Amino acid sequence: MNPLTELAQQFTRRSLLQGFGHGIGLAAIAQLLGEEAQAGGSREGELRDGSAPLSGLPHHPPKAKRMIVLWQGGGPSHVDLFDHKPGLEAMRLQELPESVRKGTRLSTMTASQGSYKILPPLKPFRQYGDSGRWLSELLPHTGGVADDICLVRSMYTEAVNHAPGVTLFMTGSQIPGRPSLGAWMTYGLGTLTSELPSFVVMTSSDVGKTCGQLFFDYYWGSGFLPSKYQGVRFRSGADPVLYLRDPQGLPRELRRAALDDLAELNRQHLSLSGDPEIDTRISQYEMAFRMQTSVPDLLEVEQEPAHVLELYGPDVKRPGSFARNCLIARRLLERGTRFVQLMHSGWDQHNNLSYQLAEQCRDTDQPAAALVRDLKQRGMLDDTIVLWGTEFGRTVFIQGDINNPRGHGRDHFGKCYSVWLAGGGFRPGHSYGETDDFCYSVAKDPVHVHDLQATILHQLGIDHERLTFRYQGRDFRLTDVHGEVVQGIV
Amino acid sequence: MNHAIERQTLRVLIWVLGLMLTATGASDLVAQSPDYNRQVLPILSNHCFACHGPDSQARAADLRLDDIPGLLAAGGEIIVPGKSEESELVRRLLSDDEDELMPPPDHKRPLSPEQIATLGKWIDAGAKTTPHWAFVPPQRPPVPLATPADWVRNPIDAFVLNGLNREGLVPSPEAGRATLLRRLSLDLIGLPPTPAELEAFLSDTAPDAYERQVERLLANPHYGERMALPWLEAARYADSNGFQQDGDTHQYVWRDWVVNALNTNMPFDQFTIEQLAGDLLPKPTHEQQVATGFNRCHLLNGEGGAIPEEQRNVIVFDRVDVTATNWLGLTLACAQCHDHKYDPLTMQDYYSFFAFFNNVPESGVPPGGSQYRIADPFIYTGTLEQRNQLAELEARARQLRQQYERLEPSPETALHYACWLSELESAESPQPPLEGQAPPTAGQVPAEIIELARVPAEQRNDEQKMRLRRHFLDHAAPEPLLTVRRELIAADQARDQFRESLAKVMVMSDARPRETRILQRGNYEMPGDPVTANTPAVLPPLPADAPHNRLGLAQWLVSAENPLVARVQVNRFWQHYWGQGLVKTPENFGLQSEPPRHPELLDWLAVEFRESGWDMKHLHRLIVTSSTYRQSSHLRPELLERDPANEFFARAARFRLSSLLLRDLALAASGQLNLQFGGKPVYPYQPPDIWDSLAITKERDFSYPLSSGPDLYRRSLYTFWRRTVGPGNMFDAGSRQACKVRVTITNTPLHALTTLNDETWVEASRLLASTVQREAGSDKERIATAFERVCARQPSASELAVFERQLAKGRELFAAAPEQAREFIGIGASEVPAESDPIELAALTNVCLTIFNLDDALTRE
Repeated sequence: MNPLTELAQQFTRRSLLQGFGHGIGLAAIAQLLGEEAQAGGSREGELRDGSAPLSGLPHHPPKAKRMIVLWQGGGPSHVDLFDHKPGLEAMRLQELPESVRKGTRLSTMTASQGSYKILPPLKPFRQYGDSGRWLSELLPHTGGVADDICLVRSMYTEAVNHAPGVTLFMTGSQIPGRPSLGAWMTYGLGTLTSELPSFVVMTSSDVGKTCGQLFFDYYWGSGFLPSKYQGVRFRSGADPVLYLRDPQGLPRELRRAALDDLAELNRQHLSLSGDPEIDTRISQYEMAFRMQTSVPDLLEVEQEPAHVLELYGPDVKRPGSFARNCLIARRLLERGTRFVQLMHSGWDQHNNLSYQLAEQCRDTDQPAAALVRDLKQRGMLDDTIVLWGTEFGRTVFIQGDINNPRGHGRDHFGKCYSVWLAGGGFRPGHSYGETDDFCYSVAKDPVHVHDLQATILHQLGIDHERLTFRYQGRDFRLTDVHGEVVQGIV
Repeated sequence: MNHAIERQTLRVLIWVLGLMLTATGASDLVAQSPDYNRQVLPILSNHCFACHGPDSQARAADLRLDDIPGLLAAGGEIIVPGKSEESELVRRLLSDDEDELMPPPDHKRPLSPEQIATLGKWIDAGAKTTPHWAFVPPQRPPVPLATPADWVRNPIDAFVLNGLNREGLVPSPEAGRATLLRRLSLDLIGLPPTPAELEAFLSDTAPDAYERQVERLLANPHYGERMALPWLEAARYADSNGFQQDGDTHQYVWRDWVVNALNTNMPFDQFTIEQLAGDLLPKPTHEQQVATGFNRCHLLNGEGGAIPEEQRNVIVFDRVDVTATNWLGLTLACAQCHDHKYDPLTMQDYYSFFAFFNNVPESGVPPGGSQYRIADPFIYTGTLEQRNQLAELEARARQLRQQYERLEPSPETALHYACWLSELESAESPQPPLEGQAPPTAGQVPAEIIELARVPAEQRNDEQKMRLRRHFLDHAAPEPLLTVRRELIAADQARDQFRESLAKVMVMSDARPRETRILQRGNYEMPGDPVTANTPAVLPPLPADAPHNRLGLAQWLVSAENPLVARVQVNRFWQHYWGQGLVKTPENFGLQSEPPRHPELLDWLAVEFRESGWDMKHLHRLIVTSSTYRQSSHLRPELLERDPANEFFARAARFRLSSLLLRDLALAASGQLNLQFGGKPVYPYQPPDIWDSLAITKERDFSYPLSSGPDLYRRSLYTFWRRTVGPGNMFDAGSRQACKVRVTITNTPLHALTTLNDETWVEASRLLASTVQREAGSDKERIATAFERVCARQPSASELAVFERQLAKGRELFAAAPEQAREFIGIGASEVPAESDPIELAALTNVCLTIFNLDDALTRE
């Protein structure tokens, strides 16, 4: 036999890697075999324990390890709140020039409206913080943390309606069914706690429920990832997690005994059947039991010191409020939850902008700012991303009748709008991107939703092009086939 | 690290690897070509096609690696057959120059040394290609020999055992009889065997005892309910539209059609044709029209600003996706915005397919309304009697309408109207304008009508003219017009009233032909070249005489020439019993699919399915009567090491039951299951606030209308499925947003909380406890009976001992807190027998709840 062949036959693949590995560097081989190295995690349908990060992750040293989304559903008006254009006042109720408006795809609510009159911001803007950031006077608390946040004024999206807009922002596609940001993140980075879910969702709405949208569970779904990566919804009702409470009347001691018996019987069965899935079941039942204690404990927000409760404002006492959810979110992050998604609705001010905008700001401004302060004072802001985001902004022109205070507002608008981020390595006190004089088009440094997603993943140590999952024969990722990291905001 | 050195080392490595590959499985050094389909194509497809594949828009350097024969025919040096060292392809894969290296480093999909070696060896062996396996119609392969021959009950076993022989594995022994009957019963009808059924089977010593059980279950009408579940998920069936208003629908009529079709074992070709094109069959029956509800189970977006034409296109996209995934196993949706990146499917193919579904008279958005929002086109349904009655009412209204239309425009009427009008204009004491007619008098006519009449004729607007004319027709027209009109109005009302009492099922129709154009980047606002309805070019063409409509499409799908449909279906049948298909990507048989395990078995089953006359029960019977199916599911240590994923089927599969079946199991074991078939969906227990988030839209009441009485205990199939918020206790089920054909089973603490704490399981436990209290005397017997009703086997002595200990503990704790015992057994709507001792019942209920949560109980062994 050919001596070389003989030699080759002696090599197993492993010894080959070891033998040659020292010659060319194990890391290089691992990289060359990148797909192989990932096979354990990214093969579709594969069940993984879910506690460890995917092999190869993080892709680079992360700036942040957890994240909270303060979702402002409905489309807050960038015109009124963030995008300071002092020139608009002089053009009050003048027609938006045709040259500016031309060709914009509008929703059916204003597409056939004959007139497009400019409505300047309802309230004046003022400067906040050392950075002198211009913000609406409706946002004094956000102004108080102006130097901590990074404002992006040049966001844009193709979506003209809520559900497709939120779905795009949360899952990377306007059509429902893809994994959401939180699912991707927990899938990729694994968990930090076994006491609580790693991805938690809470919802709230404006008090009057006058202009809210529904939040669909695919906004926090796992898509084609295993369903354990989907967000766990905490409710404001009696059961924050569905079926969390023991049946009425069942003594806790008996439940404990029953779980011990279950574990014993399941172990017996495991020795007979040999299926490792039984072992997983035993541990999942134990985590269920721990959650029965850890979740109610988590929700005991009244345990917080008075100065913390005050920070979040009076609404913190009301179950189901945005303020209370913000505080619970902080407690979750503290206890090891990786991703918290707060969904707050009520910004869809088609008809009632004139009075509802101020109400919405009052309900959300203080808690959002409090969360930033609270994380900062605990030293957690550095490695936590806070995103104040939404599906789109609103038109600079009026929808409806200006003379009817309950009959006018602004329509959906995705060509440019604003979001802000704090912590997690996002540049504090920084403003990024510019729009034209009418808050109508991006003039400088456009940031598409996919770009922001890529940037968020980047801060978490994830290369958005490499966190993929094979489904239907294709490698899917959060950013679809788009997205570039926005270097100017990190 | 120095890049050049790294590359140099890599070349050495590849050379050695190449030798290794040569050496494995061959005693000499004759180069064996890697298999193109299994080894070469996946590499090219995965790493190269994104830029050098079927997508003409994305294609770089005008190079197509998906068309090797074309590339070779054109000559050139990209691939020089027999000479990898002269082939540009290999040179580029190994290049030191970052600008030349392929795939480009920023592509982030580098090839492994093994993969490069595989490509090199394939070129050295002549770069031979064969078409993608799934695009070649299956041929019935010869049934192989295998040992031991007496293990082989049917050809499935021969293929599986032959594979095991090759791997040096042996099959597992047959599962215990009790396990086998539970498995079979759950697989075929979704219910556990009753103790009586189990006893009958265990004591049946006839050699065909098992086969008779199979026949019994295949003939059981619950078979259709069980087999409908995966089909409903594939069809994204739900009882509401989704999105903000989330109006309810009556698509349950279609759901019942599916159950019925499966129970009557409708051949799969007919099953296909009726669902895709029942409306286009000659003289379609009512049922054939209902069948087309399949393609009307899509979402409907009624949000305020929804643009109808955009939404209509989304619906047609969805039909393309569902039809292509469900029947062809193709990810055709990938060709919506650009040519497919991997499969030979172009945008032309996509929109030609789209054209089949683009002629529906629909706006794209549902109508307004409150609870129900049912979009055109739909038909009224009901019992045969109701439909006959409706037909009579419709005929009468139609006949009166014809009669009325003949009378209405007569000259006599016109003259009469003119006179009547002039009377009103003058409003003086009227004279009979025509002989024999009651004159209109000023007093009888409302003042506003008289006022209208006084507006000069040329100044009356259309609405005023209409109101005048209507008043005349209602009150002052000559006979017989007056009577006919009154009868017509009454007949219309009677018909409409009766219709409203009937269900309206959304169906397909081609009544609104539209021109279809390629939508650039999938954008409905950017129509490009027109296309006509057609099937994808890579597959056999529609026959010359076939209609280019849905009927032609449906018949083409189930034609003998179609390479995909039979394979896709038998793969799903296999998945039903093994949790995974022979092809592990049931939704994708394209180039990026997982190559089939046992490709010969897949093809044999596909041909058998088609040649049996598409007999679904025959296929299920073949699988469940095989030795392969009848094996134990125990994971022998040898298999845990050699084949943990059960690639070779040396054991049966073991997986947790779907949440829908877990609920059915609990209800059945408790004795409370209501076995009524079909009809309107029901609203069993669910935590009260699940629908609360929907209450944000004030257009209707979204409180959960909890059922009462027996409706609380219907099979899960009949639970109302709100598309925006699925039932709270049905974990791991599809979202019913898009087509889902793959089974997913996860294992999380939330599932444990559901089966431990949900009212459904707690009440079922108490009912089970009551039942066994009645049926058995001693603790041991009661525990054993409950255990058997859930797990279909007798507990072991050690298991019994654990439960006895738990029962004692329960008694002790509840005796100390009798109020708690009463609370615990009070859960659920059913009555607690007055004579029962609360402490005793509570303690036994807790034991039953533990039994329901055993891994054994949750799992199909």
